[in-house]
Amino acid sequence: MAASLVRFVRGGLNKTLNLSRNAAFIQTRWETTTTETKPTVRPKDEVTHNRLSAFGEYVAEILPKYVQQVQVTCFDELEIMIHPDGIVPVLTFLRDHTNAQFRNMSDQTAVDIPTRPNRFEIVYNLLSLPFNSRIRVKTYTDELTPIDSSVSVHKASNWYEREIWDMYGVFFANHPDLRRILTDYGFEGHPFRKDFPLSGYVEVRYDDEVKRVVAEPVELSQEFRKFDLNSPWETFPAYREPKDAPKLEAGDKPPAK
Amino acid sequence: MYLQWRLRILYTKILGALQTMPQDAAYRKYTEQIVNDRFEAVKTVSNVGKLEQKINGGQIEEVIAQAEFELSLARKMSEWKPWEPLIDEPPPNQWKWPI
Repeated sequence: MAASLVRFVRGGLNKTLNLSRNAAFIQTRWETTTTETKPTVRPKDEVTHNRLSAFGEYVAEILPKYVQQVQVTCFDELEIMIHPDGIVPVLTFLRDHTNAQFRNMSDQTAVDIPTRPNRFEIVYNLLSLPFNSRIRVKTYTDELTPIDSSVSVHKASNWYEREIWDMYGVFFANHPDLRRILTDYGFEGHPFRKDFPLSGYVEVRYDDEVKRVVAEPVELSQEFRKFDLNSPWETFPAYREPKDAPKLEAGDKPPAK
Repeated sequence: MYLQWRLRILYTKILGALQTMPQDAAYRKYTEQIVNDRFEAVKTVSNVGKLEQKINGGQIEEVIAQAEFELSLARKMSEWKPWEPLIDEPPPNQWKWPI
């Protein structure tokens, strides 16, 4: 790091230093000039895709009361969208059924999308060790509607649900121990909500006069809360919507003679 | 022989629990298929090693555990009645991504 800095400052003045750097450059360039045989595109795995969609249809056929939508993403991940009333039945079915055996809850989290009437998506990621496969279960809720806790099905979701409660403010009914888990004592608000300001509401510092840490409202000389986040690139090329084909309207029928 | 005896009891109980469901329920149809296949294997094959190979569901203890889970699920399923039509359609654009 220091050597490259020196070279940058002195430019071409120091010949010996440049020579020693060139050796390193040649090596890196040599690697990049090899002809690419494989394009950096993820190959399509039709077998996995078909197997996952077949299993998704199997689940949807068995649980038509709860499953709203089943999809396989472009990265071969099976997603099952369910009604919020069906969390415990669907997770129990996936855990106990002989053809599913998703006994391991690897992750549970939420997504905040404030423009929707049900702004929170709750996401469950499950793993089946016997079949070496994963599944994602999604459901939805809003700020006020409590959602069924899945602790009775998976013990692991105890802390995950506490985290979601802490970060998003989603209330889980029948949770044995729903407390905050990550934020500080006396913290107000739910930091992962999209309407929570980036700088927070309070800042803490050690006060030498009162000999303790004090919390004060944030004072910023510049407003950091407004960003222009519009990207010139397309963010989700895989989720491109089909263009509306121009529809031909039926012409007036010639009057029957 | 104890393991097969235990499997027989479990499979009989599962089939009994499935009897309470309607005939055309998909869960009943698929589970009866799985259980009948395994029950047939348990009845015909006496050697544990060959039985494991025939069932192809892991070791025989794992097969017993799967049967126990399936039994508890079948009993819960007849309370939940998941073969009924969808409770409620999602709100419009709930699953639309990107927004």
